[in-house]
Amino acid sequence: MASLPKRIIKETERLVSDPVPGITAIPHEDNLRYFEVTIEGPEQSPYENGVFGLELFLPDDYPMEAPKVRFLTKIYHPNIDRLGRICLDVLKTNWSPALQIRTVLLSVQALLASPNPNDPLANDVAEDWLQHEDAAIAKAREWTKLYATRQ
Amino acid sequence: MGNVPGKLEDESSVRAKRSMSTSAALPNRAGNGNATNRSLRTSSMVGTILNARRHSESSEVAGEAGNPYKRKSTKEKERLKERHVKQLIVKFSETVDGGFLAPFGSSSLEKVDYDAGVVKTLILERRLAPFYTPLQDFDESWTRQELIKIVDGLPLHAAFNENVEAFEGVPVGNLSQSDFEHLIDKSLSRREQRRMRNKIFNARLYQKRLRWQERENEKFLELKLDAKKLPEGQHKTLLPSDDLKADLYSHATECPICFLHYPQPINLSRCCLQPICSECFVQIKRQEPHFPHDSEDSGTPADEEEKDPNLLTSEPTNCPYCATPDYGVIYEPVSTRRVGIHGITPSSYVHQEKPFLQESDVPIRRGSLAASDRKVVTSDSLRPDWQIKLNKERMRLARRSANATAIHVSNQLVTPGHQMSPTISAQTAPRSNTHSDFATPHAQLHGSMWPPNATATEIENQMIEQAIKLSLAESGKN
Repeated sequence: MASLPKRIIKETERLVSDPVPGITAIPHEDNLRYFEVTIEGPEQSPYENGVFGLELFLPDDYPMEAPKVRFLTKIYHPNIDRLGRICLDVLKTNWSPALQIRTVLLSVQALLASPNPNDPLANDVAEDWLQHEDAAIAKAREWTKLYATRQ
Repeated sequence: MGNVPGKLEDESSVRAKRSMSTSAALPNRAGNGNATNRSLRTSSMVGTILNARRHSESSEVAGEAGNPYKRKSTKEKERLKERHVKQLIVKFSETVDGGFLAPFGSSSLEKVDYDAGVVKTLILERRLAPFYTPLQDFDESWTRQELIKIVDGLPLHAAFNENVEAFEGVPVGNLSQSDFEHLIDKSLSRREQRRMRNKIFNARLYQKRLRWQERENEKFLELKLDAKKLPEGQHKTLLPSDDLKADLYSHATECPICFLHYPQPINLSRCCLQPICSECFVQIKRQEPHFPHDSEDSGTPADEEEKDPNLLTSEPTNCPYCATPDYGVIYEPVSTRRVGIHGITPSSYVHQEKPFLQESDVPIRRGSLAASDRKVVTSDSLRPDWQIKLNKERMRLARRSANATAIHVSNQLVTPGHQMSPTISAQTAPRSNTHSDFATPHAQLHGSMWPPNATATEIENQMIEQAIKLSLAESGKN
């Protein structure tokens, strides 16, 4: 494998030396471009008290190309589908090389705090969210308890 | 705003006019909605192609290679690629203000597919910062001696990855011989041979690049070693003086994209004055031509063939820091540090008793500049062929769409049970050149097979129209 760009090395170091509250990202031993990530559910959201596992991969063209991020923990959210794929502008069209692992994960955390059922990825969840918001939120809470409890 | 939005405006107005004229030109046909839709699309495509050709004739981009839409031969493509790679070699003799004309670290060619001629000119004109050799780390507390020692140890180019996975097991033969036909397995199918040729060419090119750069590195190293043997006070003219090294690197700044440290002044975004090194700047480019995202997200993504090729877009790049469209940078060189090409020899540079980056030295600019400002270097200007690329992709889709229409129409020609099977006609249809020859007799022959609401003349007209479009699309390509 080609040597790791300085940027990735420095980002990894800074994630350790100056961690983001509620977020961890640890590179895999075999592949330093692959990170195991956890994000705590934001307070006062249906995901409160949950700890969600994600994977993050930095493609060869990073930072000219966005990192690939996916939820591993099951989650009931209109912008996250059953495969854990995330509908988030900064991961796609609005990616900028000035963004970092840190900022991307903060954006994911913010998405948990404010689901956007009008731009859905999981259509059934979004419909549920728009039609029976209370029930949908209750279900998101339930799933958080079921699948995202701290081990 | 600048010239680029102007172009876009121009384009959209042209498009509006074009679609008006095409819809007016299209005869009203009853029935067969699907086919009508398709031909509508293809006919407006003819407008695009004609327009694109007209455009290219007047544009400077076309100047060098004649018609940029002309299909290049494999040999020609290979020659151009090799020429591009040659321009990416960092040469110590080509130094500008202590930096160079080619990037330090990028080894993947996809990253540096910018127009090397344009970038070199911009650097020589001091409108874009030269490609400096970066420092991996930087510490303000380093002494002058420490700093000079570190700068002395910098290589011309980052180490190459010797074993690229993609080239593993690909034969390269004798690199000094230009012909490598004998390396291609002739027992393979034509298509496979072409693929193999491409692979071998790329592997050879990579190895050649390594060698060319290696040769420069060696020359540079020898020069440095020779310089050490010289008596005190004598210099090799091309090597930077200690004053130059110190002045360049003692105020090194971190590029927020690659996190490497570069001499100041550095390029600043025209909109929000954020720094970016030249190596990162040349890698920022338009996205590949794509369909607008909102239409893609609504419902199931339609088949490529079903979409209007005219909708293909490619937006100008946004500033990575503040997302202002039409990303561009400005670079304000230090007037007292004009060394290398169009300047004094690097070895004769002496530090001037003026603190670096004083307000009187470099005019501090407040507020943003328009993309059209003469001082601004836009991202688009480094890849002047973006419009051609977009048009080519539109034409490719249009051809596919036209082929699909041809298949569709020829399928309609044949009713079940007829001696000519739909698959046969589908196979013959896409060959657009022969289309017009066979279309007329067919329409007459099978006139009665058409739906009752279409007359033979109507069908014939439609098919001739289709054939004309196809051949226009072909000639646009050639």
